[in-house]
Amino acid sequence: MIKFLQFIMIRAVMSIVTLLIVSFIVFSMMELVPGNCAERYIAFKNTQGQNITIEDIQAEERRLGLDKPYLIRAFTWMGNVFFQGKFGDSCILRLNINHLLSDKIWLSLGMSIGALLLSYVLAVPIGIYSAVSRNPIANNTVRFISYLGLALPSFLFALMIMLFTTVYFGESMSGLFSKEYRDAAWSYAKFMDFLSRAWLPILILGWAATAFALQTVRALMLDEIDKLYVTAARARGIFGRNLLWRYPARHSLGPVINSIGFDLNRIFSELPVVALIMTLTEMGSLLIDALAFSNDQQLAGAILVILTATIVLINFITDIILALMDPRVRQGLLG
Amino acid sequence: MGFFFNKNKKSDQQLKEAYFTASQVELIRSRFKSNKTAMVAGWILTILILMGFFSEFLSPYQPTMAGRDKKYENGPPQIPKFWDENGFSFRPFIYGTKRERSIKTNFRWVVTVDREDRRYLRFFVDGWEYSYIDLEWDLPGEFFDVDVQALTFSTHLFGVDKGGIHLFGTDKSGKDIYSRTLLAIFTSLKCGVLGVFIAFVLALIIGGISGYYGGWLDSFLQMVTDAIRTVPQVPLFMALAAFLPQEWSAEAVFFVIATILGFIGWPTLARRIRTHVLSERSQDYILAAQLCGASSGHIIRRHLLPSFTSYIIIDLMITFPYMVRLETALSFIGLGLIDPVSSLGSLMQNVSKADVLLNYQWYFIPVLFFITFILAVVFVGDGLRDAADPNMIKKK
Repeated sequence: MIKFLQFIMIRAVMSIVTLLIVSFIVFSMMELVPGNCAERYIAFKNTQGQNITIEDIQAEERRLGLDKPYLIRAFTWMGNVFFQGKFGDSCILRLNINHLLSDKIWLSLGMSIGALLLSYVLAVPIGIYSAVSRNPIANNTVRFISYLGLALPSFLFALMIMLFTTVYFGESMSGLFSKEYRDAAWSYAKFMDFLSRAWLPILILGWAATAFALQTVRALMLDEIDKLYVTAARARGIFGRNLLWRYPARHSLGPVINSIGFDLNRIFSELPVVALIMTLTEMGSLLIDALAFSNDQQLAGAILVILTATIVLINFITDIILALMDPRVRQGLLG
Repeated sequence: MGFFFNKNKKSDQQLKEAYFTASQVELIRSRFKSNKTAMVAGWILTILILMGFFSEFLSPYQPTMAGRDKKYENGPPQIPKFWDENGFSFRPFIYGTKRERSIKTNFRWVVTVDREDRRYLRFFVDGWEYSYIDLEWDLPGEFFDVDVQALTFSTHLFGVDKGGIHLFGTDKSGKDIYSRTLLAIFTSLKCGVLGVFIAFVLALIIGGISGYYGGWLDSFLQMVTDAIRTVPQVPLFMALAAFLPQEWSAEAVFFVIATILGFIGWPTLARRIRTHVLSERSQDYILAAQLCGASSGHIIRRHLLPSFTSYIIIDLMITFPYMVRLETALSFIGLGLIDPVSSLGSLMQNVSKADVLLNYQWYFIPVLFFITFILAVVFVGDGLRDAADPNMIKKK
């Protein structure tokens, strides 16, 4: 038990170190964008008809703490993010980032995790079936679909669906809420409305991940299915679904669980593009706004850190699940 | 007869010998050749690359605004014909078009096809000039400016005697989609190759050091590599692409985009290289070289690198489609290469309106090329991987 706690501690520390490295890189990137907050604020005042001088900018820099050395600012920012969860203000929008992102984060994460679940629900059974079956048509279909997942990126997939629904059904599938619910408080009706619209982006987000997971599951099953322990089990008279689930599927589940974090990574990568095409007003498109159209480095940094933190957290959880599931690791740790 | 038999036997022996003495590369090649899908994909890929490389020769018009056809905007594809109701012709022809605007057409420009006006296809026509070596760098300082133009030609594969021919139609400003598609394939290809190359150099240095020296250096480098790998790629790319000033030239943007691709792509490759190095490092021949007093640099260059070159090439081939896809996705949302530059992504940007699906379906032709291109690369990469993995034969 102590060993197990030790294992969890080591994993937790490693996750935190990863996050620290990432947030340091993100902060450095934010700094590299030309122009700083003080100049932005002052430039805004300038448009209001005020005359500004170099001293004004310097005073503003002092007020925002921008005159301090680089490393100190980096650690202050990282400290705020880690210990208080505060991302500060966005200079362009002049709004608090936490306020701005609060429910958009949950929507984005919910949709991404929905897409992740969908992809595994589809990929695991189909992958196992295609590895086991000797049916060439089914096999080739699965192979083709998983290749298409790469060649037909989700932005194209989303685009096709959008175009077809708009042209042939006259109804645009864009947006996450209908008009009457957009600003309403969360309720059962709003949730149902959300579900009735969110399935499409979830499907599109899950599309690429499904194709990849399918390939992984299939390859792992193919590796396991010819091994001696499966033959031995078959010799003992176990067959069919019983054999599959108890022996090779269990073995190949480990690497699949391991890959969850990277699949989530992939989904997050698709998120902004799909969000832009489907005009979803959640996190993904906010990132595009922040970067492409206004150079809002604070907002972009915050979103990057949040996305990465989610992936790190998922990796941490899957590591522990894996340790609990695998008897070899479990016995080593729990004694 | 006996002579025949003898010869056969000998060649059998030779075959066996050839098999056992074949180098890694030869084995991979012969296994790759027996994979039909991969071979077909390989040919398609070769054709696409050649089309891209000779895009200027193959395309009758300049893919930029300079080559636009003002009289044929949003024009549908013109397919050359050999015959119609007016008779047969050995020389393929297309029809001339007229563009008019009047009360009858509700004051919109309408293009009508004049079936009486035949325009014959000509081959190896003289057109706009292009050069294969065209360096024009404006570096700081007079001395460093490079302006070299060589291998200049003006011959194009085909053209028509008057008016224009647009095999894939034209876009809204009258640019020839066929010419743009060919150039776009090459642009995306170049971008991907450059990105993969940068990623490869970084990965080789970082992964190589990490695998060869091991110890705390390895742990530290692995930690950084893993940290970068956890950041979602597209958002990271977007954050980096935001540094691009709007006023930069197309070439500069192209190089920066490729560099960013490389900087994002290296961690996965670095891990693979590290694993290769790690597994080879403990082999006896490395120990022998070390005992002979060879330096680390010598061992890495002369012993370690050749031992897994073929695997590295395959890894690069597998990474390549991801790079192209990333570039395309970014160009598509307007953060990468944008419209005046022809890349597959910037061409696809044009299809994102419902109007296009209803009226100008030929805008989708570059999308088909993109899918074919990616599929071909993926199949070739997979074929190579299967060919390099000796265990695969057993399974089949």
